[in-house]
Amino acid sequence: MKADVRRRRWHDDEGVHLDVRGLPPPEPMVMIMAAIDAGVDGDAIVVHHERDPVFLYPELSERGWVATRVDGEPGEVRLKLVRAG
Amino acid sequence: MAVAAMFLAGAHSRLLPASIPFRFFGAAVFFHAVAWLALGAGFDLSTSFAGGLGWPLAALHAVTLGTLAMTAIGASLQLFPVATRRPIANLALARATFWCYVPGVAAVVIGMGTGSTAWLAAGAIGVAAGLAAFAVLFVANLGEARGMSLVVAHGAVAAFALAATLVSALAIVGGYTAGWETDRSKLVSLHVALAGYGFMGMLALGLSYVLVPMFALSQAPPAHRGWASFALAAGALACAALAALGVFPDVLGVAAAGFGGVAALLHVQLMREALKSGLRRELGVGFKLVRIAWIAMLASLAVALAWALGVDWPRLPTLFGATLVGGWLLTFLLGILQRIVPFLASMHAGRGRRLPPTPSSLTAEAPLVWHHRCHVTALALLGAAIVADAGALVAIAALIGLAGALAYGVFFAIAVARMARAAVDGGRPKA
Repeated sequence: MKADVRRRRWHDDEGVHLDVRGLPPPEPMVMIMAAIDAGVDGDAIVVHHERDPVFLYPELSERGWVATRVDGEPGEVRLKLVRAG
Repeated sequence: MAVAAMFLAGAHSRLLPASIPFRFFGAAVFFHAVAWLALGAGFDLSTSFAGGLGWPLAALHAVTLGTLAMTAIGASLQLFPVATRRPIANLALARATFWCYVPGVAAVVIGMGTGSTAWLAAGAIGVAAGLAAFAVLFVANLGEARGMSLVVAHGAVAAFALAATLVSALAIVGGYTAGWETDRSKLVSLHVALAGYGFMGMLALGLSYVLVPMFALSQAPPAHRGWASFALAAGALACAALAALGVFPDVLGVAAAGFGGVAALLHVQLMREALKSGLRRELGVGFKLVRIAWIAMLASLAVALAWALGVDWPRLPTLFGATLVGGWLLTFLLGILQRIVPFLASMHAGRGRRLPPTPSSLTAEAPLVWHHRCHVTALALLGAAIVADAGALVAIAALIGLAGALAYGVFFAIAVARMARAAVDGGRPKA
């Protein structure tokens, strides 16, 4: 389980990356919210998703975060999450 | 390019226009108040009600068709496409469902309450057309589902139960209006089991596997235990249907209540674990209702078991109906709906905005607190009225229930108004 979490989470210049592809709902949202609640290194979380997570956005807004779509691989929905300024 | 709003736009195929789910939710809120009014109108007949035209039957169907199925349709049209990742096949048919179904329910309630078979027949046609249209959309969506197999399996059984419920309902109505010679007692037993535990029950259990962890922010429950609960529930439903049709009714009736009880216990345990392990500890007054509903679900199966074992108490069927419909299904639905409405409202109002309004900013808490108090008190009084065979208590319960329904209506109206205002503000150019 911990190995899976490590494989799905890494850090680079863009921020913390979370790869939630293949996880059943609502686990992608839980993983993202857990990262936000735990505090992230840097200013952004980059989420690698396989679909548009429509139920995520109200939760993000409750926490004062917003999502921006960025370019990703074919078939990927990549989101950059930042605190609303 | 930015934001949630853009993604919602990109997800239009799965996120319906707000007007579709919200019109069903609004109608459900309206019929919730009608149900308590109808119960009050039939207060002197309600404690020993076991079928037959009159205001108690009208109250029952204002709840089941008007509130429970109405909400189930609106929620399913919105939530299943997200769960199955397939869009609704035809939005015009979804709108047509509403315009057939809502007048149909109103006519059925009036026909049952006043004893007018003409109203009942006309209403039944509208309800049948609306439910058939919904069933087409629902089955088409389930048939193309990708993933969420446990939720889809519950949905498939619910769809099958809906079809069978509709057939049994039309046969019963045919007996009233056209003099069809049917075994009404068997049909009513089949209808209650399929509608209560089949269509509504399986939908509630299935959607819970997504909604409860989503609101609690917890991991999905272990799939093998969810499948065990599903298999037992489906088996219980099959036993109940066969027992209702007169196939080894004593044995299969007890088996249905037993299997159903174990399935319900497994499900509740999974849900409690999800709540306990979730990131969100404070789930609001809505989940207080959900917890009460789970207790009522188990209680309804205990009463069903007593009934199947032949316990000889004349008001047992009435108590069973009140526990199943009021205690379990209505309470659960009102608890979940008060979480869904602000959530969906936030998603829809967020279109065109960088930061969507938060669900909490769209929620009026005070009316929900009042609704909770009134709802729980009304149900307790209704249960006491049935046990004590006291019609006056039913009248008091109906008044308090009506006050709660109106409070719920205030919550809903405020959420819609705030959604509309946020959407307008979001689309307005900044100075």
